Amino acid sequence: MNEDRQNERDSQLSAMFDGELSAAECELLARRLTRDDALRGQWSRYALIGAAVRAERGVKLDDRVARRVQTAVTLEISYGDGGAADVPAVARAGAVHDKRARVSAYERWLRVSRPVLGAGIAAGVAVMSILWMRGPGMDGGSVDNSAIVADVTAPESTQVTLVPETTTVAANLAPAASAARTAAGSGDYSTPAPSTQTSMAPPAHLANYVVAHSEYSGPLSRRLALSGLVGGEVAADAAPDTQPIAVKPEAEKRVASDAP
Amino acid sequence: MTVEESDLVLVKRVQRGDKSAFDLLVRKYQHKVVKLVLRYVRNPAEAEDIAQEAFIKAYRALPQFRGDSAFYTWMYRIAINTAKNSLASRDRSPIAYDLDLTDPEESHSVQTKLQDPDTPEGMALTEEIRGIVNSAIEGLPEELKTAIVLRELDGLSYEEIAAAMECPVGTVRSRIFRAREAIDKRLREVFEGGLGRTEEMV
Repeated sequence: MNEDRQNERDSQLSAMFDGELSAAECELLARRLTRDDALRGQWSRYALIGAAVRAERGVKLDDRVARRVQTAVTLEISYGDGGAADVPAVARAGAVHDKRARVSAYERWLRVSRPVLGAGIAAGVAVMSILWMRGPGMDGGSVDNSAIVADVTAPESTQVTLVPETTTVAANLAPAASAARTAAGSGDYSTPAPSTQTSMAPPAHLANYVVAHSEYSGPLSRRLALSGLVGGEVAADAAPDTQPIAVKPEAEKRVASDAP
Repeated sequence: MTVEESDLVLVKRVQRGDKSAFDLLVRKYQHKVVKLVLRYVRNPAEAEDIAQEAFIKAYRALPQFRGDSAFYTWMYRIAINTAKNSLASRDRSPIAYDLDLTDPEESHSVQTKLQDPDTPEGMALTEEIRGIVNSAIEGLPEELKTAIVLRELDGLSYEEIAAAMECPVGTVRSRIFRAREAIDKRLREVFEGGLGRTEEMV
């Protein structure tokens, strides 16, 4: 290094020590100071000259504290990107850019592959399900819809058989059930309509009649007769065009026939 | 740029992972910190230990330093707290300053204690350095001597010195640099002459 440049550098060092150097020059010189031991020694001597001029009593004019601190600090962690401070800023920026580019490419791959992977898993599960359903006992994959409808309407059928005498009334009462049965016959599926049947007390005179003649009937017959009354009452409400009075003789006949 | 901003450049380098920048700050302020701690403890060796501990604490706390205050002000607080904690842990009181320094005997006793270095070699070195620096300053041209004294002893900025000496700031910068170079040259001559500190000082 020629003498002029060295003088200029030393002049900058003196100005930096006093905080009188421009920010840009200060940054450049700080970077150089971290690498140049001779310059660091000069920095130390400038500090020592100041201490000597101020005649700081009791203060030893050496670098012992600095050396001990330096030794201790080497055992401490480095902050920031630790040790990368001397790497040129452009190189650091390039490294950061490369890293970001790698990260963004990975994220882009993940963004695309995730839905594809999910769809693949879903399709696999669907295929497995179909294969499982096409196992033994399932021919050709055709499902017997009528069997399902029959299962659905089974409770209605049970109700009908419980009151064999009132099947016509029950047919009126449960149009949805008959529609379901029709649908079952045709192979179509239809959802049964909700039942409109409500629990109602039988008319008082019919109830009195049944109770008065209960001595001639068993408990089962009496229960059937009361069920018939209930069914007749509901039928009268549900289908006003029908003749509710026709129910009465049927019930009377049944009660009479059940009598011992 | 001020001293605070100049120090902040080094602080930011430390925060980015450059430990050697912290070494520059320690070299710059070690004597001031030791002098500060000597207000609380009598023994210079103990003051050095406390100063060392304070600098290490400062290094550990440096990520939290945001530059709201000057680095030295921040360091000053850490050093005082470390000294006080050290005293508290040893259950001792700081030096009382209500001594009668007009009494020559008592004054001499205090000064001797404060100046008492660890070893005779240390004392000799310190005194020699001080003598060389003072001698070098005395030998400087008047304008260089005035500039360096106003800067180091009175702590004036270049602008204030320029106003006092009625010259441009650039001239002040040059004068201070030349004064330092002249003193430094004398120091190097002496240390290279065999005082045993050649490696450290050059």
